[in-house]
Amino acid sequence: MNLAIFLEQILNGLISGSMYALIGSGIALVYGTMRVLNLAHGEFYMLGGYFTFYLIVQFGLPFWAAIPLAVALAFLLGVLIQKLTIEYLIVRDNWVFTTIAATLGLSIVLQNAALLIFGERFNSVPYYVSGVMVLGDIRLPWQRVLIFVVALVTIAFMTWLLKYTRIGWSIRATSQDRDAAEVVGIPVRRVYMICFGLAAALGALAAAMLAPINAINPWAGIPILLKGFVVVILGGLGSFPGAIAGGLLLGVVEAVGVQLTSSEWRDVISFTLMIAVIWWRPWGLFGKK
Amino acid sequence: MATETPLIEVRNVDVVYGNYQVLWDVSMETQAGQITAVLGPNGSGKSTILKAIMGLTPVRAGKIILDGEDITNRPAHEMVARGMTMVLERRRLFTGMTVYENVMLGAYHPSVQKHARDRLEWVESLFPIIAERRDQIAGKMSGGEQQMVAIARALMSKPRLLLMDEPYLGLTPRIVQQIADIIRKVNGEGIAVIFNEQNVKLSFGISNHGYLLESGRVMLSGTGEEMMNSDVIRRVYLGE
Amino acid sequence: MFKPFTLQARLGMAGALLAMLLLPAVTADPYVMHVMVLAMIFGIFASAWNLVTGFAGLKTFGHHAFFGLGAYGSALLAMHLGLSPWLTIWLGGLIAAAAGLLIGTPILRIRSMPHVAIVTLGFAEIVRICVANLSGLTRGEMGLWGIPQFEGLTLPYFGKVSFTPADKVSFYYLALALTVLMLFVIVRLMRSKTGLAMLAMRDGEDAAESLGVNLTRMKLMVFGLSAFIVGIAGAFYAHYLSILTPASAVGVDLMISIIAMVLVGGLGTISGPLVGAVVLTVLIEAMRDLENYRLLGYGALIVVIVMFLPKGLVTLRDRFFPRPQET
Repeated sequence: MNLAIFLEQILNGLISGSMYALIGSGIALVYGTMRVLNLAHGEFYMLGGYFTFYLIVQFGLPFWAAIPLAVALAFLLGVLIQKLTIEYLIVRDNWVFTTIAATLGLSIVLQNAALLIFGERFNSVPYYVSGVMVLGDIRLPWQRVLIFVVALVTIAFMTWLLKYTRIGWSIRATSQDRDAAEVVGIPVRRVYMICFGLAAALGALAAAMLAPINAINPWAGIPILLKGFVVVILGGLGSFPGAIAGGLLLGVVEAVGVQLTSSEWRDVISFTLMIAVIWWRPWGLFGKK
Repeated sequence: MATETPLIEVRNVDVVYGNYQVLWDVSMETQAGQITAVLGPNGSGKSTILKAIMGLTPVRAGKIILDGEDITNRPAHEMVARGMTMVLERRRLFTGMTVYENVMLGAYHPSVQKHARDRLEWVESLFPIIAERRDQIAGKMSGGEQQMVAIARALMSKPRLLLMDEPYLGLTPRIVQQIADIIRKVNGEGIAVIFNEQNVKLSFGISNHGYLLESGRVMLSGTGEEMMNSDVIRRVYLGE
Repeated sequence: MFKPFTLQARLGMAGALLAMLLLPAVTADPYVMHVMVLAMIFGIFASAWNLVTGFAGLKTFGHHAFFGLGAYGSALLAMHLGLSPWLTIWLGGLIAAAAGLLIGTPILRIRSMPHVAIVTLGFAEIVRICVANLSGLTRGEMGLWGIPQFEGLTLPYFGKVSFTPADKVSFYYLALALTVLMLFVIVRLMRSKTGLAMLAMRDGEDAAESLGVNLTRMKLMVFGLSAFIVGIAGAFYAHYLSILTPASAVGVDLMISIIAMVLVGGLGTISGPLVGAVVLTVLIEAMRDLENYRLLGYGALIVVIVMFLPKGLVTLRDRFFPRPQET
């Protein structure tokens, strides 16, 4: 295999990886602050895709307006779901189990509601930018480059948010010690709402960027959730930076792996890898004990 | 003791965890600027009462009144704005964040944000370690150092009332002495302190008055002298 | 602790058994029989899952893997080796049990429930994808049909009993026999020293450890047993319907239904999973036209039950027929 094609594969892997990173970081954010495993996370992606589709195709908005709007809608949806279900469960007995079960139920409800409302047709939107970038022997569609750029910008933004802003500090403090956060005056319940909203927004953004490439359908969230799991296990369940690293790594490993085996076994490989990591390093490849 | 309105009043408080009642009809009070010790062996509920005052543990019955205002079962994050904060048991720093970030978070709340700079200077004068180890990750410090950071963080909001849950736990005698000095100094600036402790003699080195809890009930209360001389204390603690 | 059954409970069980035995005499309508057979298959599945999740306190979400392994295992052994389904259902159960022990070992090392949830979901996905991809063996998504059914028997008094698709009543009684057998095993287990230790473990691990119980080995055994039972349910399903697809035998939808059934009935109770299975299966069939809403309903039910009726329907009974208080 020649170098150019190999590099192209690596770059494609990084691009998919950046989307995995966005998705995984949403799961990590919620688990990191609230210790809740949100099994409905894939549905934020799925609904983000539908929001984007309707805004662009039905309402005719240009993509650069539709995407922020779709992301904002997803944020609100995340906050709503948190307020209606998670907030209620998290202060009661057995919350670890009930939140997992409730988000599982919610996931099914959202999938089937989407099926009933939107129908089972697979939808897509036109490419946001056309043409192909040519770098020597490497060819990448500009759409994919755009995806990568948006992902990088988002990751940079989130990192800045977490490190330097009040909201970011309150999120980090809450995830490190909830009682101590309360004691210094951080409104922990509001932090939870914001985190859930952010997680939904990140998932929706990934869907919005992938809308021209991946089909939008009621079940789109299922493989996304499973992918997200692999990412956060690699990176350490509650770690935002770990999810970024894990996502990028997974993308590259998949891109290379597909060269060696056929794509139908790809998921078996990543899940087996995931289970192996949980067995040997449950705190993730990049996390600390 | 002057009979003015106490800064904080706990009236007939019951606290229940699941099916177990841990506090029975507990009443206590602290005047402004006073240091109060809450004593008792393990399991006496002395930690629970502080958490209940702070709003970290729900109160089943009774009232908690801070400066005339009923704060029973109000969430803990509202207390900073009311001038009350807490140093939690075993420090409870934000272990992944630096000393600077931890301390500055003490002034997180908008109502206490304004003079954060000045207070940082004050806190650095009390604890030189804050300036020295500004960028060190808090989780990597020793127990005594962490305790200093935890107290510094609490002081950043210039509270009227500081609650301290087992401030001496797990610390060397030298550090314990340093912390006792800090508590005195801080009290000298007008901050009331309620702390809990198992060791009676240690407590009355610095506090004006105290309460003795046993199995969730108040057994005794009084000034330092009164309590040290009481038979109850002698029986329970000093083995006499 | 597992108290001996009260008189009330014994009467209830006897009554239920009697009703089940007499049902085909009241109506042998093939449709009704079919619904009840499915309800019992799911009831067995639900009870076995409850064994792990409700009694052993190990919250797992991938038991549908064992159902599928038992189903496909038994079907393929019967089809390719010409073995009798009477034998292969047990072999299917063993295959599932082996898988249970295999995946159980890493799961038990993990203390964190979210990690266990992820591993079990991932494991089930692996099984599903393997079944779907190995289409040379399993016919993949096209479906494995022509699975042999149970050969006929000659029973004393009843004479010849056959298990063709027309003989729903035979399947009904066979399913009932399996259900009773499985219940018997579960109750005996919970009454044994192992069972008591398990409940102690569920309610407070540290206490159980201090009793010198080897927790890991015990949990693993229970997990394996649970997988075995679910595998048998799956195998029965295969030889009853005579057709399997990866989605119907190893799909997440199946697990969702089971979770809904157990939660509705009552997690951690004996009758809860069975009650839940019967109620939901019958309810869903009664509302055939609303097939599109079936999954939606299950999902909503899970959310609502977990939030507002966490102990399930069975506890409502306790409100109407209060049991004597335990000391």
